[in-house]
Amino acid sequence: MRFSSRVPHKAAVAAAAVAVLLPLSACGGGSGSSGGSSASGSGKIDGSITFQTWNLKTGYKDYFNGLIADFEKKYPGSHVKWVDQPADNYADKLSADASGGTMPDVVNVSPDLGAPLAKAGVALDLDGDPAAAKYKKEYLPGAWAGNQVPGLKGTYAFPWYLNTGPLFYNKALFKKAGLDPQKPPATYGELFSDALTISKNSHGTIATLANVPTIEDFGRYGVQIMNGKGDGFTFNDAKGVDLLTQYVKLYKAHALDPQALTATPDSAGQKFLTQAVAMNPGSALDLGHFKTQAPTLYKNIGITDQITSTGKVNMYVMGLMVNAATKQKATSIAFAHFVTDAQNQLSFAKKAAIFPSTAGTLDDPYFTKEDGTDTARVRVAAAKSLKNAVNYTPVVFSDQMKTELGNEVAKALQGKESPKAALDAAVKSCDQLLKQS
Amino acid sequence: MTSPTAGPVPAAGPLAGTGAGPGPGPRPASRQPGGPRPGRPARRHLPSTPWLFAAPGLVVVCVFILYPFVSTLVDSFTDRRALVAGQWVGFANFTEMLHDDMFWIGLRNSALYMVVVVPALVVLPLLLALLVQKRIPGIGFFRSAFYTPVVASIVVVGLIWVWMLDDRGLINAVLGEVGIGRIGFLSDQWLLLLSAMFVTVWKGLGYYMIIYLSALANVPRELHEAASVDGAGAVRRFLSVTVPAVRSTMVLVGALSAVAAFKVFSEVYLMAGPKGGPAGEDTTLVMLVERTGTGLTGRVGYASALSVVVFVITVGLMLLVLRADRREDA
Amino acid sequence: MSTADGRTPGRAGTTRRPSGGAAGSRRSRFTDENGRRIPAWELTGRYALLVAVLALTVGPFVWQLATSLKGPTEDIFATPPSFLPAHPTLHNYTRVADTIPVWSYALNSLKVATANVLTNCVGSALAGYAIARLRYRGRKLLTLVFIVAMLVPVEGIIIAQFQTMRSLGLNNTLLGVVLPGCVGAMNVLLMRNAFLHLPPEVDEAAVVDGANAWQRFFRIALPSVRGTLAVVAIFAFMGSWDDFLWPLIVLSDSSKFTLTIGLNYLHGTFADDQRLIAAGTVIAVVPLIVLFACLQRYFFRGVGEGAVKG
Repeated sequence: MRFSSRVPHKAAVAAAAVAVLLPLSACGGGSGSSGGSSASGSGKIDGSITFQTWNLKTGYKDYFNGLIADFEKKYPGSHVKWVDQPADNYADKLSADASGGTMPDVVNVSPDLGAPLAKAGVALDLDGDPAAAKYKKEYLPGAWAGNQVPGLKGTYAFPWYLNTGPLFYNKALFKKAGLDPQKPPATYGELFSDALTISKNSHGTIATLANVPTIEDFGRYGVQIMNGKGDGFTFNDAKGVDLLTQYVKLYKAHALDPQALTATPDSAGQKFLTQAVAMNPGSALDLGHFKTQAPTLYKNIGITDQITSTGKVNMYVMGLMVNAATKQKATSIAFAHFVTDAQNQLSFAKKAAIFPSTAGTLDDPYFTKEDGTDTARVRVAAAKSLKNAVNYTPVVFSDQMKTELGNEVAKALQGKESPKAALDAAVKSCDQLLKQS
Repeated sequence: MTSPTAGPVPAAGPLAGTGAGPGPGPRPASRQPGGPRPGRPARRHLPSTPWLFAAPGLVVVCVFILYPFVSTLVDSFTDRRALVAGQWVGFANFTEMLHDDMFWIGLRNSALYMVVVVPALVVLPLLLALLVQKRIPGIGFFRSAFYTPVVASIVVVGLIWVWMLDDRGLINAVLGEVGIGRIGFLSDQWLLLLSAMFVTVWKGLGYYMIIYLSALANVPRELHEAASVDGAGAVRRFLSVTVPAVRSTMVLVGALSAVAAFKVFSEVYLMAGPKGGPAGEDTTLVMLVERTGTGLTGRVGYASALSVVVFVITVGLMLLVLRADRREDA
Repeated sequence: MSTADGRTPGRAGTTRRPSGGAAGSRRSRFTDENGRRIPAWELTGRYALLVAVLALTVGPFVWQLATSLKGPTEDIFATPPSFLPAHPTLHNYTRVADTIPVWSYALNSLKVATANVLTNCVGSALAGYAIARLRYRGRKLLTLVFIVAMLVPVEGIIIAQFQTMRSLGLNNTLLGVVLPGCVGAMNVLLMRNAFLHLPPEVDEAAVVDGANAWQRFFRIALPSVRGTLAVVAIFAFMGSWDDFLWPLIVLSDSSKFTLTIGLNYLHGTFADDQRLIAAGTVIAVVPLIVLFACLQRYFFRGVGEGAVKG
């Protein structure tokens, strides 16, 4: 359950808009072995390392203990100490460790956390180390490139798990509003008009969306988020203004939940659970959750694809960073690769309802064959959509920038500013923050 | 230096008499001037003895509070970021504040918080103390029960009240039942701030009640009796006997709650969310410090400058209260 | 004017503390502090008000307790809300224990909180005594140091604190969690105030008897401020029991985590399950309430210590 809610928001993951930025920052397919890196990671694999995950202990303790045992068996003399951090304040924890020189050897990061660490020289450049670079071809090219940072050469984390999911909707609420519960919205146009219908027919008591638009929503709507060079933001273009204008209409009509301005992803999920909101994004894991938490909702649950104008759904990416200052470089690289190799990603995916980032693994029958259950249906559909999914959130989009955007969006929704003025202001302050970083 | 008033200062007042020598140790009006003064330090010890006494506390405070604070002070003149060493930028951070909308919003909210919360926390706990002062059966239970919110963790309290004030929470359910209709406590900018203030007052009631209770214990009975004989009603007795008698405690409570209210963080953070409510309109100064300076991309320099401003304002507040107190004494 | 143990106030007229001894007889219970009988209507009014305030202060906790006892089939969002669980169950508490090693986290919290209570009581009493009752050059400066320390906004210095701890090699230890708060400036000032209000005659007599500063501290001053010590103890316990960000920053190994960090896993793992969060909050609050219930007698005496000064 944790996965579904953490991955999308907490991780607020941020790889470069792969499709947009990739051609410029990707290193051209070579192994990237720039040679001559003095202490390369091709030494003997033994000794003790520390491996840090982000809120995985409560759910997947046995999996990781088994994984570590396997690694230690494969490389006698090696020892892996596993630490796990809770969901909140992970960035603060990493920040303290980075400035205190206490960073573990292998660290679970999302691209937006990895980027500042890479800039600070805390993360090992995998392309620059032959021992790591040789694994590049094992991963999906987009996933590997998702851990690159504009303005820096190299790749700074092994791709780990990916996540994406469908859009859930409440058939009963659709029906009550006079809409066809078998025909959920498939385009943004339909989404907006359905939402207005639902709020009108429920006299403003039922909203359709519970979250204000975030940077990934702009991406999905087809807004160009950054310029080609990756040194300035462009989400205040006509399309961006159009999206925000639509949301303002929804907000006024209570089709966007009135508490949306202060909502957290958790609270938005709760709204859907209590049937106060008609639609909510989620993942396969949520299905089981609905079943136990809200049996009445589960009977009415509808599942549809993420709505995009680009044809590419949004995905969330997790990676494993190797500490540049590790004393056990060979072991750390070997372990980070071990955790993220095809076999182990597949078995983790089966346990955790996430998706592997290794090439070819998505062709496993587990991701292609339906078995008649809703869970499998969601999984197969998501795996299919991942083939061309994009992480719309730029890696350089920091928490501070998210706050700036969120505040300006809120001003527009409240009618204090025009959508155009709000987005202009957000772009201006994000550009300034980008320069300072 | 000392005041001749009858106002007692409770043991729980850490600030009474700060910077005023051996403290305005309040004493009953009946004591003749020039009599022995409580609290005068005694002599006869080795020169090193006081420092041995103070050593543990002094070391801890210097190493873990003051030293980090001094480095914060230094950082406030740099553009240091979480993972990047800073350059000296002089007063640039402070001038930036003047043009930072968020700073002014934070200042407004922190000040507003103080203006609303302080009077409530000065008056309500006093009334509560009067209510539990009479030793009627079961009063011990009530006193302890009223103190429960103080001992409960703020995170727990935040969770509880968010759960109560939610659109679908208990309070709105009740409001819906009685026909008032639901109120968006957690979606409107001002209601959010007000809700957070309410929680602060709710949590502080018991704490300040205790302080007042100990002060009331020292109001000489004769005063009340005299007033009763005069035929003064309860309200008049309250205003003419109780209030003057606990005046210095009220000042103390005012000072304590003012500083705490100005530095408010948890309540607003928990109620309005990390972003400080809609469009960040509920951000307080300390929340801004936290938001600016934390994480991997935190602007430590600017956040340090904000911390310094918070510090200067609280010190100023404290001095203001103490001076006002002393002037009234004179 | 007052005996050395400080329990018998000199001026009989000001004795109104719970331990004052006059409270025992049945008759006195129904009279006010001036010895008059309280009329029945006033008594009723008082109880009505007391119960109203009780509902306001304790009600939310009871509501949380009720939520934590509700079974998985009960709709906790029902309108109108049902207060009592239809099928009370402790299942949610078992689930908390299944999700996180709640007992070992609680033990870590207990260690930290106990250490914090001891160091704060000892350290603040010593320092408070030094600035309240000893004479020497630099006393005002010392007072000022503690006042300034109290006003420092801790939210802004946490990374600097961590770097200090790191350079001492104490990161990822429970000792590192305890140290920064182990003598709180606020507590020092609380103790200072308590000592300040002890009558000077006591000290003077002891000085004449040849007692040195340490003897005066341990034998005379300390026993007289037990109540304030109870206040400090409770604040110290509360503060460390509740702290989240600092332990999180200092600790890395989950085996060393404290309860607040552990409960955060709960919040993350079952984001939507109010019953479980309620059970977690109850687990977090109960030790504090129990501690307070045990100490409350001293506590209320302590806050009355203002009365001791005569």
